[in-house]
This record gives sequence, C-alpha cells and structure tokens, in this order.
Amino acid sequence: MSSRLQAEKVYKVFGGRPEQTVERLRKGADREELRADGVTAAVIDASFTVEPGEIFVVMGLSGSGKSTLLRMLNGLLEPTAGTVSFDGQDLASLTAAELRTLRSRRISMVFQHFALFPHRTVLQNAAYGLEVQGVPRAEREERAAEALALCGLEGWEKSWPDELSGGMRQRVGLARALATDADLLLMDESFSALDPLIRREMQDQLLELQKTLHKTIVFITHDLNEAMRLGDRIAVMRDGEIVQIGTAEDILVRPSDEYVASFTRDVDRSKVLTAAAVMDRSTGGGEAGCDCPTATPDMPFDELCALCARTPHAVEVVDAEGARVGTVSQERLVAVIGDVDADDAVADTDAVADTDAVADTDAVADTDAADGAAKAPAACERHTTGPEGVAA
Amino acid sequence: MPRITFGEWVNTGVEWLRAHLAWLFDFFKTVFAGAYDGLDAVLQAPEPLLLIGILSVVAWRLRGLSAGVLSFLGFVFVDALGLWSDSMSTLALLLVATVIALAVGVPVGIWAARSDRVSAAVRPVLDFMQTLPAMVYLIPAIIFFGTGAPAGIVATLIFAVAPAVRMTELGIRQVDPELVEAAEAFGTTRRNTLLRVQLPLALPTVMAGVNQVIMLGLSMAAIAGMVGTGGLGGAVNEAIGQLDVGLGAEAGLSIVILAVYLDRMTNALGRELSPLGRRAAAAVRTTGLARVLSYRPRPVVAGVGVIALALTAGLLGAVGGAGNAPATAVGDAADVGKGKKVTIGYVAWEEAVASTYVWKNVLEQRGFDVEVQQYDVAPLYTALAGGDIDFQTDAWLPTTSGPFLKKHGGKVENLGAWYGPTSLELAVPAYMDGIDSMEDLKGRADEFGGKITGIEPSAGEMDLLKNKVLGAYGLEDEYEVVDSSTPAMLAELKRAYAAEEPIVTTLWSPHWAYNDFELKKLKDPKDAWGAGDKIHTLARDGYSEENPVVAGWLRDFTMTEKQLTGLEADINAAGKGNQDKAVKAWLKKHPGLVDEWAPLPEGAKGTEGGEETARPLEVAWFPWEEDIAVTHLWKHVLEDRGYTMNLKQMDVGPVYTGLASGDVDLNFDAWLPHAQSNFWEKTKDDLVDLGSWYEPTSLEIAVPSYVKGIDSMEDLKGRADEFDGRIIGIEPGTGEMNLLKKDVLPAYGLQDEYEVVDGSTPAMLAELKRAYAEKKPVAVTLWSPHWSYDQYELTKLADPKKAWGEGNRIHTIASEDFPEQYPTLAGWIKGFRMSEEELASLEAEIVRRGQGKESEAVEAWLKEHPDVPGRMTPDA
Repeated sequence: MSSRLQAEKVYKVFGGRPEQTVERLRKGADREELRADGVTAAVIDASFTVEPGEIFVVMGLSGSGKSTLLRMLNGLLEPTAGTVSFDGQDLASLTAAELRTLRSRRISMVFQHFALFPHRTVLQNAAYGLEVQGVPRAEREERAAEALALCGLEGWEKSWPDELSGGMRQRVGLARALATDADLLLMDESFSALDPLIRREMQDQLLELQKTLHKTIVFITHDLNEAMRLGDRIAVMRDGEIVQIGTAEDILVRPSDEYVASFTRDVDRSKVLTAAAVMDRSTGGGEAGCDCPTATPDMPFDELCALCARTPHAVEVVDAEGARVGTVSQERLVAVIGDVDADDAVADTDAVADTDAVADTDAVADTDAADGAAKAPAACERHTTGPEGVAA
Repeated sequence: MPRITFGEWVNTGVEWLRAHLAWLFDFFKTVFAGAYDGLDAVLQAPEPLLLIGILSVVAWRLRGLSAGVLSFLGFVFVDALGLWSDSMSTLALLLVATVIALAVGVPVGIWAARSDRVSAAVRPVLDFMQTLPAMVYLIPAIIFFGTGAPAGIVATLIFAVAPAVRMTELGIRQVDPELVEAAEAFGTTRRNTLLRVQLPLALPTVMAGVNQVIMLGLSMAAIAGMVGTGGLGGAVNEAIGQLDVGLGAEAGLSIVILAVYLDRMTNALGRELSPLGRRAAAAVRTTGLARVLSYRPRPVVAGVGVIALALTAGLLGAVGGAGNAPATAVGDAADVGKGKKVTIGYVAWEEAVASTYVWKNVLEQRGFDVEVQQYDVAPLYTALAGGDIDFQTDAWLPTTSGPFLKKHGGKVENLGAWYGPTSLELAVPAYMDGIDSMEDLKGRADEFGGKITGIEPSAGEMDLLKNKVLGAYGLEDEYEVVDSSTPAMLAELKRAYAAEEPIVTTLWSPHWAYNDFELKKLKDPKDAWGAGDKIHTLARDGYSEENPVVAGWLRDFTMTEKQLTGLEADINAAGKGNQDKAVKAWLKKHPGLVDEWAPLPEGAKGTEGGEETARPLEVAWFPWEEDIAVTHLWKHVLEDRGYTMNLKQMDVGPVYTGLASGDVDLNFDAWLPHAQSNFWEKTKDDLVDLGSWYEPTSLEIAVPSYVKGIDSMEDLKGRADEFDGRIIGIEPGTGEMNLLKKDVLPAYGLQDEYEVVDGSTPAMLAELKRAYAEKKPVAVTLWSPHWSYDQYELTKLADPKKAWGEGNRIHTIASEDFPEQYPTLAGWIKGFRMSEEELASLEAEIVRRGQGKESEAVEAWLKEHPDVPGRMTPDA
C-alpha cells in the first residue's frame, strides 16, 4: 500500500528573478553563465516517476542538486517551475497546514547526519513524528518502541542519542521515519556519514525491511555502489539535470553519455552485474538443454564467468522453477567486460541507444561479440583468479 | 562648524513624550511599582534568618550541601552587616527588572533569530542601550517614571535587556539547522519547532543570558540608587557621597554575595531546566566526602523544607508584627520646645553637618523635637523657601549662595552669620616649602605633576578657579585642574599627605582638613578668589515670628574656626551615621556652650538714658566682610546721631577679653551660640548679648500651589492617597531627610501614611518637574531659598509644630555695663535686623569700592536703602 510520486519538469532556481531564469534555462542557457549572474540553478527540468514500493535512488556528486530535488518532494522547498505530485495531488496546491499534515503522516525523512534531537531520549526521538501527529503518549511510545525494535534497537529506548554509535543513531533516525507509517521515505545521504562496514550493514537492513514494508523510498547518495545495491532504479544527476534514469545495469552497461560512463568506470561490475543483466533473453523459453551447470538470474557476474569458463557452450540461466530465461555466451561476457576497457564498445552496443526503456530490465540486446572475442579467455581467466583486479 | 542643537531636540522630544504619552509611562510606572512593591513586601516579610534558610535550602537543592552552607553563611553575614533589608529591596528590584528584561528580551531575541533584518535592526539598538552612560538616562527616567523603584527598574532594564536578546538569538541560531529541518520534515508547525526544538536546545545559552541579565542588572541596581531605589544601591550611593569607605565596603560586599548567589543559582537552574544539562550534571556525580558536600535533597524534600520555613516565617511575621510600638522621648526641666518640631536642613558639607548637629543637640536639650535633613545645595534652598525646613545653617553669603537669595529674598529670613569669613583657596601641605601664595605656584608645576586636584566640575569654586584665579596668576597654561569630587579630592589629599608627596588641592575654609592635616592656605594677593563668604543661618519665611526664642538663639549663634574645625574633625573621625554621637561628645567636652547658644529666657531690661553720645564707643571688629559692613553701617548711622565710634580691628579672642574687661564696648559680629562659643564661654559672665541681627533659612515640604487645601504639614494628614503616600525625598542620610523621617513626619503623625522616597536632589527635581507639568499632586522635600520657588508656583508647607527646627545667627555683644551705659543704643541694637539681600549688597558695595573706602560705600548703599537708618534707630 504505497503511493506514487511524480515529478514533472521540475526546476529550482535560487537567486533573483526565478521565472525569467527558468525561461532562459528552457531556452538552453548554461548553468555557468547563470552563475555569473548570481543565480544558482539547483535543479533543471527534472522529470521522473517513483512507483509504489520502489526504491528510487538519486545519485550525483555534491552540488548536483540532488538534495534540493529531494526537499521539493516533501514540500520543504517549493519548485520554481514544474510540479511535484504525490498520489496524484500537486504539492503546490496544498496549503501550508495540509502540507504539514502530509509530511507528518505520509512522508518521512531520514537525514545524512541523523538529525536526532539531543534533548530527547531514543524513544522520544522515535516517537517524534507521532507526537507531531498528536498521537496519545502511550500509543506513540508503543509504536515508537515497535519501530525501534524493527530497526534492531530494542532495549535502547531510554538511552540518549549521544550515547549511541553512528550506525545506531541512524537506526533511530530510520525508526523515527518508520514509526509514522509514512508511505514515502525520503533518505538524504542517510548512510554516507557511516563507516563502510556499518554502511553496508544498514543497506542490508534497509533492503531487509523493504522486503516486508514495501515503502516507496527515494534515496539520495553520491556513492554509485550504494546506488547500485539499493536502487530498483537510479537517476544520475549532473549539474542540476537528470542525465540518465535506469536500472543499475542500464547505468552500468548502457551509460547515456560520457559523464555517466566515466562515473561508472570505477564500479566493480563483477559485484553489481548478475546473470539476469547480461543474459540473452531471446534464447529464453523451454528447459535446460543439457546436464551442464546452469546459472540463476541473480548469480553474480564473477561466478558467472567461472561457470562460463567451465562450460563448452553458452550457459543457460534458469529461474527457480527450472524454466530457462536466457543464455550467456562467452562472447556476451566479453562484450560486457569490453565496456570497461574499450569506450567505443559502448557505441557498438545496440541497446545503448534504447535508453527510453528505463524500467526495462531485459534491455540487453544482441551484441556484436567479434570485437571482444579474442580477449574472452583472458578476461574470463582474470575474473576467475582475481575478480577484484578489474576494478583497479 | 555649525552648532547642532541636538540637546535641544532631545529636550523637545522628552517634553513631547511626557506631554503626550504620560498615560503610557504612568501605566508602566504603575505596573513596575506594583510588581516591585509586592515582591519587596514578600521578601521583607519573613524574619531574615528564615528567608536565609529558604534561600539556602534552594541552594542546597540546586547545587549541593556546600553551596547551601555557603549561602547560609554569606547571607547571615549580610544580615549581620545590617543590610539584609536593603539586600532584599535590591533583590526585589532586580527580580522585577530581570523578569521584564526576559519578557521583552527573549521574544525579541527569537524574532531576531528568525529574521536577519530584525537582527540587523536590533543590534545597534542594543549597543546603544548598553553603552549609553547610565547617568544620561537615569535622570530622564525620573521625568517619565518618577523617583524610586520604577525609574530604577527602567534603568536596570535598559542596561540588562541586551544580553537577554543577544543570548536568545545566539542560542536559537546555534541550533543545528538539520534539526530544524528535521522538525519541519515531520510536519512540525513553526511555533512547535520553536517550542519543542529550538528553545529547548537554546536553553543553556538562554540561561547564560539570564545569568548575564541578572549580573548586569545587579551592577546597574547599585547605580540606580541615585534615583531613589533604596536598597544596597542606596547604601552605596550614600557611602560614595560621604566618602564612607566602610559603609561602601559593606554594601559592596553585600552586592557581591547576592551576585554570587544569583549567579550560581541561575547557572544551576539552567542545568536543571535543560535535559542535556541534567545529564551533564549527572555524569559528574562524585563519591566520598565530595559526594556528601554535593548531596542534593530530592525536590520533594527541598520543597517541603522551603514550605516549612516559609510557613514558620509567615507565622512569626503575623505574631511578631504586633510588638513594635515606638517609644517616645520625654522632655526635661529646660523644656523650652515642649516637643516642638524643628527641622534643620543641611548640605553634606562638613561645616553644615557640624553646625546642624550642634543645633540638633542644643535644641533637643531645650526640649525640641529636632529632625535634620540632608540636601543638595539647590534643594536645600528650595526646601527653605518652601518652608519644608525651618532653617539651615550653611548659607554662604553673599557670593556662593547669593543667587538663591536674589530669587527668594522675600521668602527666607536671614538669621545672620555665625561663621566667617569663609574662604575659597588652594591649599598645599605644610611640608611644601616655599609655596605660601598663589604666586609661588608659578614655575613649580613639575612638582605637582602640573595638576591641581579639583572637586566637582559643577562647583562654583572650580569655575572660579579655572576661569579667573589661574588666569590672574598666569597659571592656566602650567596647571591643569583635575575635575573630580570632594570625597575623591580628600582621598587624594590624604594619600599624598601620608606619602609626603607634593599636592595642591582646591579647598575652602572652614574645613576639617585644616584640622587633620598641616595645610597651608595659599595667599591670594590679587584677590582673585574674591571676598570670602560668611556662613549664615537662613530660616524659612516667618520663622522668627513663630519661634522668637529659637530665632533669637540662632541670631546669636557664632562659632569660631577652632571650634568648627575641631568639631568637624571629630565628626569625620566618628564616621558616617555617628554625627550625632560625635556632636554630643564634643558638646560634653565644651560645657556651657549649650547655655551660651540657647540661653534660657531672662527678663531683658534696659533703661532709657540721655548722655549716651558723650563718651566715644569703642567698637571692635573682625576683618570679615559682614562685620566690616555692619560696623561701618552702624558707625555711619550712629555718627549721624551724634555718637562717636572708635573702631578697632581685633582678633576674636582679644575682642572677648576686651569686652569682658570693659576696654571694648561693642562687637557686631559675635557668631553665637556656636562659632565663638569657647570665647563666649570664658567671658560670658562679663558680657551681654544684645541679640542677633541675622536670620536663618528653612527646610520644608513643598507642594505645587495647584494642590489646594494643603498649606501646612498638618494638612497632609489624611490626604496620602493624593500623593500616592509618597513624599519625594533627596539623598538618603542627608540631614533634611533624617529630620523629615525621624521628626517632622512623626510630629504630624504622618509617618504611617507617607513614605519618604530616598533618591537624589536631581531626581527629586525631575520628579517635581514631571508632576508639575502634569498638574499632579506631589510633595517634595525642599528648602529655601531654592530656584524651584521661582520656577514653579509652590507652597511651602507651614510647620506649626516647628518640627523642622530652627536656625543660627550673628549677635551683637557688649560689655557688661553697656546696656546701662547706653540704654537707647542697646535697644536699637536689640531691634536691629538685616536681611540677606541688604547685607549682601552692602558687602558687595564695600568690596567693590575697596579697602579704606568703607564710609563711602556705606553712604552710597544707604542712598539705595534710605529706610535703614530709621529702622535702626527708631526713636531718634
């Protein structure tokens, strides 16, 4: 039971004469030349839809406008132009009081630096949203305690925020956001301030929670690995503009431009890509053709390489019911790896042009394997012996 | 550069505000006064020890056992200094000011925190409020708010509100913006964001602001004593005015104790109020002895303790309130006054204090009920002209106090001079060899660091020194006159004298400094200082008619320099508050003076005789202006009547000896009963007092003439409501104030109805101005002459009971045989009176014409006063 969030041609301009600036932007004015006029275009022409139950990641470097974008989604900031609608309702049409009610009941937020109230206990922090809603004390404390338990903080209710570690604090932040039973969770770089290990733990926990809660989540990050790990879909922002929206595989395999490509260059594909992402779906249907080992759709890329090397023909990808959903040939593997080493390989990949199919997970099209064929054994070998080496 | 008349604009602005917004100021005044009175009543009600107990339990609760014990000791110390009641008044004032400062400052601070524009607008205003010298707005505050607590609260408020605003703004701005955003993101309203997030988090900073408000308020409360807030500020103010280091230290220390207590308590309160602070405090919990010392009772226990003590306090207050009926003094055999009220006004100058207390004692011994009231110079004259006081003994005439008499000549009676001539001068310690005259200062500026230690820059003497005297001796480029104050000058003199350092100070005679230190008065060969004044006794108009006996005594009153400076030194040594004791002791050391100064009535007799002119009169005179004047006047008049007069200039002692032996017939300048009493005492059996010819001045309560039906002190009875039950006083501890509180009010049974508001002379005058402009009833402590009587239509309240007391005068004394030898002349002399104006103008004429031309001067003067000879010799 989650809700749909939609942004349509959203602009946000800070500084003088916002309307005129939007006009200039629509006519293709450059962000830099605006900056010279003392005007900052934080978000330019952003359009996207977040489906119910989806984790939508907005990724970009600092200054790319992602935080501004996020704050327009719950009305903390008002778009200069364009509309943000939640459940079909334009946020701009709401009164301040309605907007506050919306924020207190339907949309909650998790912050980068936790933003826990230091003068409140863990329980009082978690209950904050409910307190704003006006939920009676006993009930809100019970619900807050439940939310804390959900986040693994049972027994810490009476502690104070400054007595907790960073990870635990963010769990309180998460519990606070979950306690209100909001449909939409806005997470602003929520795990960025945490140690890598803790960060990973939190990501796992979020994914775990999402399995049962099915919230609609907009997650802001500057970390591509995090984006890939969490995001059902990822929007990449650059200089205020969304340059690409797609699945992790789309971003990785079919970057829309040079910028995205360079962004993804350092990503350890072998850890991100799965069999489902690289398989040839045109060969799906039927059952496994032989007794050779098969791959599952979520098999990581590095395991797939190893399997591929041991199999004389294209590896069959079989789902849980045993139905064949596609095949992965050595050529195909090589073509994917080739994207890493040879930029022109991107252009050779037919499917790259097909960026419209953002939500389409089976967008991997035929590849001309010839260019990369010679490299295949070596690449396969490298991946078998040391998959991390590719990322170097 | 054109002169910008900013001051006039401000005056106009203040006038306009007072005229148009009086209702607003009155409203605030009522609120402030009400809050203060209520709180003060609560704090004053319980026994000091009980309240100390309550405060200590609070300290124990907030900070631990050792804090509680220390608070107890500190406050008991204050109580032991006799300053508990003052401390509570100050505390009440401070708390009211603090609450108002917070009520104003915190919202403004919040507003400023939310809006940069407001912040930018508020900041310079706060700077202005904090740096504008308090004195500059203290006096105007009276014009708007009257004297007493409201003006003090306003002044304190203006000074102390800034930290409340600043710290609130800072505290809120310091709150992590992410937290504010978080609150907003959860749909919190702006109001709740403020109340639930921003303020709680800003609380420690805001409490630091509260602490600052209290500390600044306390420092200001001391200064506010100037406008009559009383309390410790009043005590400090009084101490400063009298260079009473001891009292100053006591009051100052009390303020410190109060400050430390409030500081620690507000700090602790800041911690208690904030959850963060509570946790921080809990984190430093200690063990062992330290734990015992910092043990804090649970809130319930502390609450019970406070309530128990408060109940005890309430019960004791209810029981103890009944048992304090004042005892009244009884008259004695020499009861001339029959408890009649006499009010003597004086300025806190040494000779005035001395002579006033002398008369207080003398008159008390004669059965009068004497009150002495201290005033500033100007208020003293106003009080006298207004009839608020009966007389004052310290009119420096003709010069220093001359302008007042010019204005109020008809309204006061001059009972004659009792001391003189006085002189203004520069003085150096006797160890300054080779400096005896003003001329000797030339070229020796280096020794004195080029400095002449001056007194108050507003004093006439300073003006004269800077504008005339230095110029006359060509010293103006060499020496700088350092503006200061009389106490500071004396302190500096004392210091330099002890260290035998060169110092040249602005001084005057008589002064006890000449008694305590070996000083040289620098001669003034060019007469740049002008002729010295004599010290006259002035009585309120009609006083001598109502009180012929006392007026007669005052007329006859004189004191010698030795008597006066000796007495002054005794008083100075006795210290503040002990004037009366010192005078009593001094009178004991000089027996007979009382009888000399206030002789019990005896049948005055004199036979008419015909051959008086046959024998030349031997008249001795002192080289003092009034004596020169009066002697030459008599010479002129009597010679017209066929008398022959041989004038002899003599010193005081020889005059008395001469009169006693019969070698001399007359002296017109006997300063009795004080100044020349020791001479009089030795020889009085062989002398005759022919009465005095000069009249005193007066202290009084004055009301504006538009207050109908109040002409006498008696009329005040039952009309306290009209005056808010207040009589606007001047500096506490001054003679007139003491006289008013101790004698005048009780004499008319007004002490329960009226409260005398301590303040200062400027404050009283400002209050008078305010009330007068609004045509409101006001009763002020005044004296005559005072320019107020010229400026406003005021009624001096008559003093039928003579509670304000009476003044002093100059006598004519003669040899024992004189009345018999010269009955006619003796009669004339007994009937002789001179008004202040007459004497002053005659003296001025003589001075103007110069030495050796006295006769000419008298002749010229008589042309302008043709009635005088006839008056002097009625039957001739």
